[in-house]
Amino acid sequence: MTRDHSSDPEPKSLSRRSFLKGAGGAAASGVFVGELATGAKPVEPTRCLSSEETLEGDVEVTFHLNGESIAVTVEPRTTLLSAMRDRIGHTAAKSVCEQGNCGACTVLLDDEPVYSCLTLAVKADGREVRTAGGLAEGGELSPVQAAMVDRDGMMCGFCTPGLVMSVTACLEKNPRADEAEVRQACSGNLCRCGTYPHVFQAALDAGRKMVASSNSGSGSAGGGR
Amino acid sequence: MSLQPKKNTKDGQPTWGERDRLSVLNTDTRRLSAGAKVSGEALYSMDQRPEGMLFGRLVCVPVATAEFTLDLEPALAMDGVEGAIVLRKDKTLYNGQAVAAVAARTPELAEDAARAVKLEIKPLPWAVTAEQAMAERAPQVLGRRPNYGPRGRGDGTTGDEEETMLALEGAAYRVESEYHVPVQHHCSLETHGVVADYDGGEEATIYASTQSVFGIPGSAAREMDLSRKNVRCVVEHMGGGFGSKFSMDVAGKAACALAKETGRPVYVFNDREQEFQTSGNRSGSTQRIQAGVDEEGKLVAMHSEMEKLGGLGPGPGTRQPYIYDVAESFTREHSIHTNTDASRAMRAPGHPQVSFAMESTIDQLAYEAGIDLVEFRKLNLSDPVYHRQLDRVAREIGWADHPHKSAPGTGDGWTAEGIGFGVTIWGGGGYAGCGANVRIERDGGVISSIGVQDLGTGVRTLVAMIPAEEFGLTVEDVDARIGDSHLPQGVSSGGSVTTGSVSPVVKSAAWNARLAFAEHLAPILSCEPGNVTFADGKVFDRASPDRGLSWQDACAALPTEGLTANGEFVDDLQASGVHGAQAARVRVDLKTGQLTVLKMVAIQDSGLVLNPLTWRSQVNGAMIQALGQALLEERCMDPDLGLQINPNFGDYKIPGSLEIPELVAIIDEEDTRQAVIGVGEPPVIPGVGAIANALQNACDVRITSLPLTPDKILSAIASQS
Repeated sequence: MTRDHSSDPEPKSLSRRSFLKGAGGAAASGVFVGELATGAKPVEPTRCLSSEETLEGDVEVTFHLNGESIAVTVEPRTTLLSAMRDRIGHTAAKSVCEQGNCGACTVLLDDEPVYSCLTLAVKADGREVRTAGGLAEGGELSPVQAAMVDRDGMMCGFCTPGLVMSVTACLEKNPRADEAEVRQACSGNLCRCGTYPHVFQAALDAGRKMVASSNSGSGSAGGGR
Repeated sequence: MSLQPKKNTKDGQPTWGERDRLSVLNTDTRRLSAGAKVSGEALYSMDQRPEGMLFGRLVCVPVATAEFTLDLEPALAMDGVEGAIVLRKDKTLYNGQAVAAVAARTPELAEDAARAVKLEIKPLPWAVTAEQAMAERAPQVLGRRPNYGPRGRGDGTTGDEEETMLALEGAAYRVESEYHVPVQHHCSLETHGVVADYDGGEEATIYASTQSVFGIPGSAAREMDLSRKNVRCVVEHMGGGFGSKFSMDVAGKAACALAKETGRPVYVFNDREQEFQTSGNRSGSTQRIQAGVDEEGKLVAMHSEMEKLGGLGPGPGTRQPYIYDVAESFTREHSIHTNTDASRAMRAPGHPQVSFAMESTIDQLAYEAGIDLVEFRKLNLSDPVYHRQLDRVAREIGWADHPHKSAPGTGDGWTAEGIGFGVTIWGGGGYAGCGANVRIERDGGVISSIGVQDLGTGVRTLVAMIPAEEFGLTVEDVDARIGDSHLPQGVSSGGSVTTGSVSPVVKSAAWNARLAFAEHLAPILSCEPGNVTFADGKVFDRASPDRGLSWQDACAALPTEGLTANGEFVDDLQASGVHGAQAARVRVDLKTGQLTVLKMVAIQDSGLVLNPLTWRSQVNGAMIQALGQALLEERCMDPDLGLQINPNFGDYKIPGSLEIPELVAIIDEEDTRQAVIGVGEPPVIPGVGAIANALQNACDVRITSLPLTPDKILSAIASQS
């Protein structure tokens, strides 16, 4: 449907689409979900953003999502969460509060847990993003995931991918984390069904398993890396 | 093989079988969808992305009540905006009420478009708090009806007021208090909403975040002017409901209408602020209670008045004296209406509110009479099940060694520890109306189907466990198909009825399939159908267990179309009526007023617990929600602005990982009923009162207004000394 752009009520100077400093790829036509299959194409990663340019209009961002290089067209204001969910159709990270209160959108950005709802997609350019969808190796769940399954560390499950990522980040740094450390690592994640006790148990189980397997030298203690 | 098997009289009606002989049921069983949930592969309604989908967004009126005019043209004129609709023309009655919606190619464009809609607002006088609603010349929020009056099912009076007051006068010990429970929120993590998959034709699929798969197609069909039979509702996974998700809501209505207008799939989900402001809540209440006991500590009289704060709605009608036996009881219940969205069912609607006030009253009376808190409860609860349950949680919480059994403690000047108790009640039975079928395929596959939704309770797993038990298979051998209105009829998940309604029908279908299969296999095994036995992945003649067929080989003997059997509701497989008791141990920091819950214990009789693992998850979760109600949760309305000032998880606190106490969830094994009972609601009830009681038990501070925040506790401690 073609619309008369001249009646756009948002004056150009105030546009939220062009407020960000940085460098991006060439503008491309907007991608909506109907074009998912073609919108997300594996390419080589581009350079990280410099802070010199102003981004405007549509921006092509390239990042590694669970090891696969993904190029996606976004607006400068598009969050990493929305880029994944609404552009690429990767819905492992959940959208719950969109203001950094609940942790359901937690992903690992270069191994650090971040709220993808508070991370602009352009800031992920050239970086590595891991979600709960990228932890399994060869079809086998990661130790954290497997322990969550065994302990029933979920009910409705909407907070679960975020909790899985927070626990994974915690145990990748220190598989010997005790319950207090696990609780601290999960303190940015809200669960309404009340799965916490089983999540804590699962995290401790997973940590023990990761320690054991790294002692036995199998080398797969990295939680899926 | 198309068959409705002959009733095998020898086998009679299905039963669950003796508990110690069950190999799948009554055994900790991993949730079927667990792998999909931990890997982000589980597709929730909010995750559905049909090709060509547009993003919708609601246009909401940001004042308490208003007349307004709308102009959609500026939005429609924007590039990438594909549709806009009016949802409401009448004045709005609560903050955030949606009046229009837009659909655009990206979420950002949809947000821009919602902002671009020209909305001119004329705010009207409002009443958003009980005080405002009860003030002289307050605006009547419901129009012609006054803001105060008997509105709901439980409203009005019960009992004899005069007799009750007489009995109160004769009581040996009396207490009187006024209790306040604020409005609280469901806080489902997946907000209300729908993806309406539509291409302009005669059919539509609605992916809804709902507790009622079968309630959706009719509403969606009406919105889209389609035939109901052409509208299908699919709920593969949904992110929590807790009583708030029985209809499509305005987001669903908007998605359907926009899909109809654009001929494209449309996504509309509330954002978090809309969710807080418009998607229901647990009604608040003010309760004034006078109660008295005789010399022995028996409750002789209770006079209770309650004003419910259900916003535009009446609030649920749960009454005092709740579970306890009282000789003379009088209740008066009314509703106060405000310009806030109507309360909805929320996990045990009405119960935690009255339980909090009643359990608080009980402890105050016990202290007056100088009687052990556990013994005092037993004295006033005639049902012996409560007695054994109270003893059990008392043992687990360490009551025997606790120094403050019949009088509150004071602490050591720095901290104080206390214990509190509460009891609970529920029905939890199911009812007839569901359908189910179990299909055995020639390749050995088993498909168990019922359209019911799984809110996270684990019903999907039960749908597989039941046939697995019947056929001597494992749960992984069964493909459970649920969450689809094209499958056999399910039940709406409210009142903890799902397990009791679904399980008997699935059991019946599996039972019928087994009988039919046995009949088919009897000639092959050269035995009577009644002797065909299914166990450990094998099928054999009971008389010669060493011979026989593997499950696979047995299935290969079926005709090409396999075998399908339907189920019917079998009343004896479910039951209703549960009890429960809980105890909480808390520590109070006397210098800061910080209350920490150290441990909570719950016991519950639930008949035959089909999956103890998911049962414990639910009971743990209920205790955690009770902790939230006791310590954290409160909708805060600003009377001067007419707005909720905490419509987000930053300011409306729910329990997080650092608040979780040690939790013990105990199945009451002395309940030997061979029948299933729902568990969802009862364990959320008694924890609130138990925590408030533990606070008083610790340091002789009685807070009658939830939540029990440090500022209230600290000022109570200060006024004490």
